[in-house]
Amino acid sequence: MCLEDKLEFIFLLPIFLPLLTSIFLFLNKKLFNELVTNFFTLNGALLSFAIASYSFVALALNKFKAVNIELFQWISNPDISIGFTLDGLSGIMLVLVTGLSFVIQLFSTSYMEQDENHSNYFVYFNFFVFSMLLLVMSSNFLVMFFGWELVGLSSYLLISFWSKKPEAAKAGNKAFVINRVGDFGFLIGLMIILDTYNTFDFYEILHNSTGVSESTITAISLFLLLGAFGKSAQFPLFSWLPDAMEGPTPASALIHAATMVTAGVFMLVRISPILQHSKLASLLIIIFGLITALLAAFSAINQYDIKKVLAYSTISQLGFMFIAIGSGAYVAAIFHLVTHAFFKALLFLGAGAVIHSMHHEQDIRKMGQLRKRMPTTAAMMGIGTLAISGIPPLAGFWSKDEILASVFANGGIYYIFWALTLGAAFLTAFYMGRHWLLIFEKDNGFDHSDVIEAPKAMTRPLLLLGIFSVFIGFINTPFFHGLEKVLHVTLQNVEVTHLPEGITLVVLAVLSIGAGFTGLIIAFLLFGIELHKRIDLQKFKLEYPINLIKDLSLNVLYLNKFGNLFFISGMKNLSRKVAVVVDGMLIDGSVNFVSTAFNKTSKITSTTQTGMVRNYVVYFGLFLLLLIALFIATPLVPR
Amino acid sequence: MLEVTTDWYLTLAAMLFAIGFMGMMIRKNALIMFMCIELMLNAVNLTFISASKHFGQIDGQVFVFFVLVVAAAEVVVGLAIIVSIFRKQSSASVDVLNVSRG
Amino acid sequence: MVEALLFFAPASLIIIGALIVIFARNPVHNAMGLVMTLVSLAIIYITLNATFVAMVQMLVYAGAVMTLFLFVIMMIGVDKKEQSTDSIKGQTFLVSGVFLILISLLAYVAVSSDFTWDLWFPPVEYDVEGTPQLIAGVLFTDWILPFEIISILLIVATAAAIALAYDIKKRSSNA
Repeated sequence: MCLEDKLEFIFLLPIFLPLLTSIFLFLNKKLFNELVTNFFTLNGALLSFAIASYSFVALALNKFKAVNIELFQWISNPDISIGFTLDGLSGIMLVLVTGLSFVIQLFSTSYMEQDENHSNYFVYFNFFVFSMLLLVMSSNFLVMFFGWELVGLSSYLLISFWSKKPEAAKAGNKAFVINRVGDFGFLIGLMIILDTYNTFDFYEILHNSTGVSESTITAISLFLLLGAFGKSAQFPLFSWLPDAMEGPTPASALIHAATMVTAGVFMLVRISPILQHSKLASLLIIIFGLITALLAAFSAINQYDIKKVLAYSTISQLGFMFIAIGSGAYVAAIFHLVTHAFFKALLFLGAGAVIHSMHHEQDIRKMGQLRKRMPTTAAMMGIGTLAISGIPPLAGFWSKDEILASVFANGGIYYIFWALTLGAAFLTAFYMGRHWLLIFEKDNGFDHSDVIEAPKAMTRPLLLLGIFSVFIGFINTPFFHGLEKVLHVTLQNVEVTHLPEGITLVVLAVLSIGAGFTGLIIAFLLFGIELHKRIDLQKFKLEYPINLIKDLSLNVLYLNKFGNLFFISGMKNLSRKVAVVVDGMLIDGSVNFVSTAFNKTSKITSTTQTGMVRNYVVYFGLFLLLLIALFIATPLVPR
Repeated sequence: MLEVTTDWYLTLAAMLFAIGFMGMMIRKNALIMFMCIELMLNAVNLTFISASKHFGQIDGQVFVFFVLVVAAAEVVVGLAIIVSIFRKQSSASVDVLNVSRG
Repeated sequence: MVEALLFFAPASLIIIGALIVIFARNPVHNAMGLVMTLVSLAIIYITLNATFVAMVQMLVYAGAVMTLFLFVIMMIGVDKKEQSTDSIKGQTFLVSGVFLILISLLAYVAVSSDFTWDLWFPPVEYDVEGTPQLIAGVLFTDWILPFEIISILLIVATAAAIALAYDIKKRSSNA
């Protein structure tokens, strides 16, 4: 029996189950109480995850040969159809999204308890999962674009979920508008693709394309890259992600940490067969990835909002993934995507648990010494912190080390990139250490005796994710290339950067571990035992630089203000001028001129329309006589 | 001896038409204007019948028949309109009616 | 000689009647002028061998239509004098303009054609007598479709006249 037959339609189920759940819950919003809603949404998610896992196992038994389904053909020429594909890449994403969706929904049932829009939350949540699966499972760019846009929509709905808060509504708008900038690029990229290849199908475009000039490929890659920058919050389109933290924390965990923001990375890996031909695009990706990784990591070191630290950390980690793509290490990018999804979801859910227990207090300066109050959360957050810092043998170490090694393996100018990436890794360890210490260890002089551990429905998902954060790294180590085997069909024509061998790899690994440990130790010295208070700083005259760094970090290098000043105000001024000069005087003027001209001439001519019958008779007679005169002047029949 | 040819009839019809048209222009009473219209229609009828004789065809006379019927219908409707106008403003002058002024 | 008399006597009556129609002040006089014109026209029709049309002219026009006119005149009254001065600004000027153009056109045509009227076709030698048989023979064969359409028009006109003249306010207040 052929496994493909079995797989044919079964992997469509996990895609459309969330949609069905969403519609079902929406229709029965008034009817269901919280318990029934939870029942349906959790079971739907679990079923979806189970089928997804089954599909993945079947795919693995079939040696990851891609399975394509074309639901129907929309237009025959150019070839545009609605279809889905299951291969190694989309299989990983399928399992990841459905699995995390289940865990996070489990957490949400407790976190969103007694919210007035409880069922709406799950409607949006399931709709988001559907959109994300549509994005990752698509077999052509059109379906991917549908998913791409729907993901933006549902993300908007979830960010501004508490729309009564003006900040939340504003943040939703900001996210949507900035995403539109990226989507605009994506759309142009799609148009060029359709013009060049006359189809949207991935397989046709990625594997059967010969004789397409490099400049066209570069143009396609750059426009698609703009879309990826918007969706994955890369510099300069990153400022929506920290603001998006106004949404419910579990939604942030799924959307703004684990899945949606990785859509850009996913898409770039998907188009890697053509992306690898464009040197310029690859260089731009790694440069922007570096800028993002460093900038976001720097911004994270002096944030005080528990979720904003994690948001900047997410941006920084996405920068790492872009660095990996830019250096040709597509497997490493996906690997980091997977590990990051687990430990960042863990961190976000931990933060959610803390926020829940602290009665929606998000300022970490008002926390501290929570370790004894919330031991499980503290332990799991600690695992997440170690994992993201790159401490072996936790998940983050393997993926981050692979990225660093891949960058190093390219040689040349990439040695500088490697050093900068290492710096970003160091900063990551530092700010995550600070984050954990400020919440759970440091005495900030607040009394937290009333704080109790989060309910079991919250700690259980944390435990689950904690276990994964420890062990998920073993799917792809230098000793066992599991992920590479999964992706080898998807990336069959792609030249993936190979890791250096032997002693180089060990040295690189030691250096990356060193960076992680150093960051953590410095964080411990500063925020754990507060070294700077024991020694006299005055004699080093360090106050000014430290304050400068703090200030710059808190304000994200004043990029937002610069952006406001330069783009928003400048644009406002410009558009005001355009409105006055072009619109007001030129366009309105010409329109008004036409209308007044018509008005005046019609006023003049309308005086002939007296309404008097006898006047009309006179006109009639006049023109009748003129007609007769015309007949006399030009006889109809020649004599 | 003067022979009466078709020219004479046509001239008579033209004069009749011109008189009717002048009446249309100078009279204000809607009723008189209607009579002028009748004059003009009759001028046309006269043309038809003289042409019928000139060409030896009966169709001209048939067409006069049609014109007669249309004229009758027009008079019926027109007079009804005049009556209802008169009810409203107790005058048959058309100069008061300028609702269709531009 | 008789032939000329039979043309010029009714022709002058027609012109006089038409002038009465447009110049008389009393509506009844106008109506009588019109009757004079129509009856004289009927005489002309007879001399043109259109006997049936002449009869219909007498019956329908001079009889029925004129009776209708007189009814309406009686209804709306004859005592109201029409304003002798024109109330529309520039109407007199326009009318005289039209009149002048008409006269000049006629003069031009008359002078340029040397006072002869070329009809292009000579008159036929035989006479066609417009008897009821002959007219009916053509009317009910070649002209049957216009005939039917005319009948519809008459019904519509009748209904329209009733609808227009029916005074709803007065009726409903009476009832």
